[in-house]
Amino acid sequence: MLRHEVVVVGAGLAGQRAALAAVEAGRDVAIVTKLHPLRSHSGAAQGGINAAIGPNDSIDAHTYDTVKGSDYLGDQDAIEFFCREAGPTVIEMEHFGTIFSRAEDGTLAQRPFGGAGFPRTVYAADRTGLALLQGLWERLGSERFTLYEEWELLRIVVREGRVQGIIALDRRTGEFQEVAAKAVIIATGGAGRIYGRTTNAHSCTGDGMAVAYRAGAFLKDMEFVQFHPTALLEGGILVTEGARGEGGILKNAVGERFMSKYAPKVLELASRDVVARAITTEILEGRGFQGPYGPFVTLELMHLGKEKIESRLQEICDLCRSFAGMDPVTTPIPISPAQHYMMGGVGTNIPGETNIPGLYAAGEAACVSIHGANRLGGNSLMETLVFGKSTGAAAAAYAEKAPTTSMTPSELDPVTSTYRAWSERKEGEDPSTLRTELQQTMDRYVNIFRNEADLAEGLRRVRAIKERFSRVHVVDQSKVFNLNLSDAIETEHMIDLAEVIIVGAYARLESRGAHFRTDFPKRDDAKWMKHTLAQRTPTGPTLSYSPVAYTHWEPKERVY
Amino acid sequence: MAADTVSVPFDVYRFQPGKDARPRYQRYTLDLAPHTPILTGLLQIRDEIDPTLGLRYSCRSAICGSCAMQINSKSRLACETQVGPELERHGRIVVEPMRNQPVLRDLVVDQSPFWREYNKIEPHLKLDPRRPMPAGQPTAMTPAQVERFKETPRCIACAACYSACPAAEVDPEFPGPMALAKLYRFVVDPRDTAHQERLVRIQPNGLWLCLRCHLCTEACPKDVRPSERIRDLKEMAIAVQGATELGSRHAVGFKENLKGAGQINEMKLVRATFGLTGMVGQIGQGIRVWRKKPEIMKKPRKIEGMDELDKIYAALDPPAKEEP
Repeated sequence: MLRHEVVVVGAGLAGQRAALAAVEAGRDVAIVTKLHPLRSHSGAAQGGINAAIGPNDSIDAHTYDTVKGSDYLGDQDAIEFFCREAGPTVIEMEHFGTIFSRAEDGTLAQRPFGGAGFPRTVYAADRTGLALLQGLWERLGSERFTLYEEWELLRIVVREGRVQGIIALDRRTGEFQEVAAKAVIIATGGAGRIYGRTTNAHSCTGDGMAVAYRAGAFLKDMEFVQFHPTALLEGGILVTEGARGEGGILKNAVGERFMSKYAPKVLELASRDVVARAITTEILEGRGFQGPYGPFVTLELMHLGKEKIESRLQEICDLCRSFAGMDPVTTPIPISPAQHYMMGGVGTNIPGETNIPGLYAAGEAACVSIHGANRLGGNSLMETLVFGKSTGAAAAAYAEKAPTTSMTPSELDPVTSTYRAWSERKEGEDPSTLRTELQQTMDRYVNIFRNEADLAEGLRRVRAIKERFSRVHVVDQSKVFNLNLSDAIETEHMIDLAEVIIVGAYARLESRGAHFRTDFPKRDDAKWMKHTLAQRTPTGPTLSYSPVAYTHWEPKERVY
Repeated sequence: MAADTVSVPFDVYRFQPGKDARPRYQRYTLDLAPHTPILTGLLQIRDEIDPTLGLRYSCRSAICGSCAMQINSKSRLACETQVGPELERHGRIVVEPMRNQPVLRDLVVDQSPFWREYNKIEPHLKLDPRRPMPAGQPTAMTPAQVERFKETPRCIACAACYSACPAAEVDPEFPGPMALAKLYRFVVDPRDTAHQERLVRIQPNGLWLCLRCHLCTEACPKDVRPSERIRDLKEMAIAVQGATELGSRHAVGFKENLKGAGQINEMKLVRATFGLTGMVGQIGQGIRVWRKKPEIMKKPRKIEGMDELDKIYAALDPPAKEEP
């Protein structure tokens, strides 16, 4: 058995920043990650990171935009903390070595983003996530900590009312590993692969959320799933909001710049939920283009000119050219919305604490909540760093005082026997078939526009898949890099999370942010200005609700 | 399938050390649209035909660097390489693991040699406590300083360059293209305070082992152009330290050597590289060369068009470069 004071699961920006804070606090820290840290999905973030550091901008303006963007479901105390920390955080990342794009005068360049009153988004061309991930990994790399690379989280062990450690699968050897820890930080990112059409990496399977849920943690606001308005038609590859920030425009098949109907003041730079619904409405009402991969509208960049497109949107240029065989310098980009981000996650407060002593969460895997019902572009990269740091520091302080923890055979044995049974069966359900059916179900029934009948049917189907999963069969008998086993493990996680999303969405009889019910199209503050908390029971999630933290930002009708 | 499909034969390298006696190639045939990424094909094989196929993949949009492999003998990202052009050129798609890194299973390699070299160049800002970062402010950078970051930040550490590199194959001590390109990124960083120290350290530690074959630049999916960054490092190293290493003395000697006649004077070059005393150690090699090709040891005659070469030299020798 291995032992560390603080174990961080996930090595994207949130996990790395938490690890750095815990190392700086003098704790013995280990990072467990199923990828190499530099391959984490944080690196795929394109457009930028928000901080009110511009001459005419203010922390209050960033706070207001975020509260409004959240459709008043964000916790205002957490948002105020977040916006205050944003400026120093960008500067700290610059000092760590991050290579940002610069204005002519050598200061950090900022671009406009959706739902923001000012050009607030600091960026590194259209690979801001990669720039931050490199900068942070370079900084963290000169510290002492232990890295368990290509290890997959299986269980969080909770005994005597607190965390004792984790159990993980070492993909390279196939061995099950126990790591005793006083504090465990979940920073495993999102769960976009619950959907078939998503901008997320194949690795975004919600492992930490699902394992924390199984350990007794609350999942918060899981029904709020962000669909990014502009995903490349093929496969849903992300086309950054920065493309619209730089001046890109959306057009339908009859040549209309249709955002004028939905957000007359800010057009393409409305909040993501608004733009995604606008595009979907245009398509549903027959004003989309028809292509071999489904209906779409177009994102036009041509008027920006070759030089601007190729310098500020270099990766987008490459993606369009090599993946879609078209050139955005001369041709409109075919786009439609795709799943992008989970506003919900493991319920936490500002220091990242969950309802289980010793268990912490940060980043997309967590729900503080600063994004509420809809996240603003550019706020998630900042969230990973601000709350990664606060969570790492809090977990370190807890671990310093917490008594020694331990792992017993009674914890490991049932885990190994569960997975062994999957491999020892002679026949059964194929994990990738179940995953594909789950994705099709979510795409069809739990998408941008929802209603009671669809959600009920979606839940019925997910539960049928869950039942079939009890007979899952892992064919691959090898220990080294057994991805067939990993497929099964991840599919089990995603089935649980899909169920929580649908149960929460079914219960919430209103439309707020990214959760739009065609049968309840209005926001209902009197009944529903509250967070959904889901807790696991043997028969499925049970829901309870908690109030939204309010400081002084009055709920108003949300128009852009 | 919505678009027209073609039958695509994949020949995939399968091997599990310790279990299989030797590698084998397994044929899988899929019907795919020509622009289907190779990665999509491999995942379809895993989902529909053979779940035991091992490979690394994650973002499927050329930014995580997980899926580099040999595709028809070239180091490429499987996610951004389409089946159509490969099929046209080669008639089939041969998929093998990256080179210069031991195979763990099928297409999955042990990347520790690659990361070891990356770590050796000390990939973090080295700061001088006497020159603190501006408090509460980002560092100011001039457009010229920013311009030098044009290519290297795009690196996704996919190791395609390392896989393609013949120097890494023959000399495990060669840092490899990615690590050197990363070193360049720190050497040109105005925040870093160890430029000279880094350049001095890398000279005897592999900088001059690069063969200038440019296969890394051909393999790089993000246009980092590692071989050009290595050339830049060599120039900066000579500017800082002069020609003090075998490699740099050879490079400078080579350049000076050609000036006289437009052909290499071998004796002079050996002397420039190894020095007068060092030439003694080369006597054996000299004799072998002399036996095979005695004319090579003679003083070369001036080539025709020497004036053209002079012009090239004039253009190549610009005024002294700005210090990094």
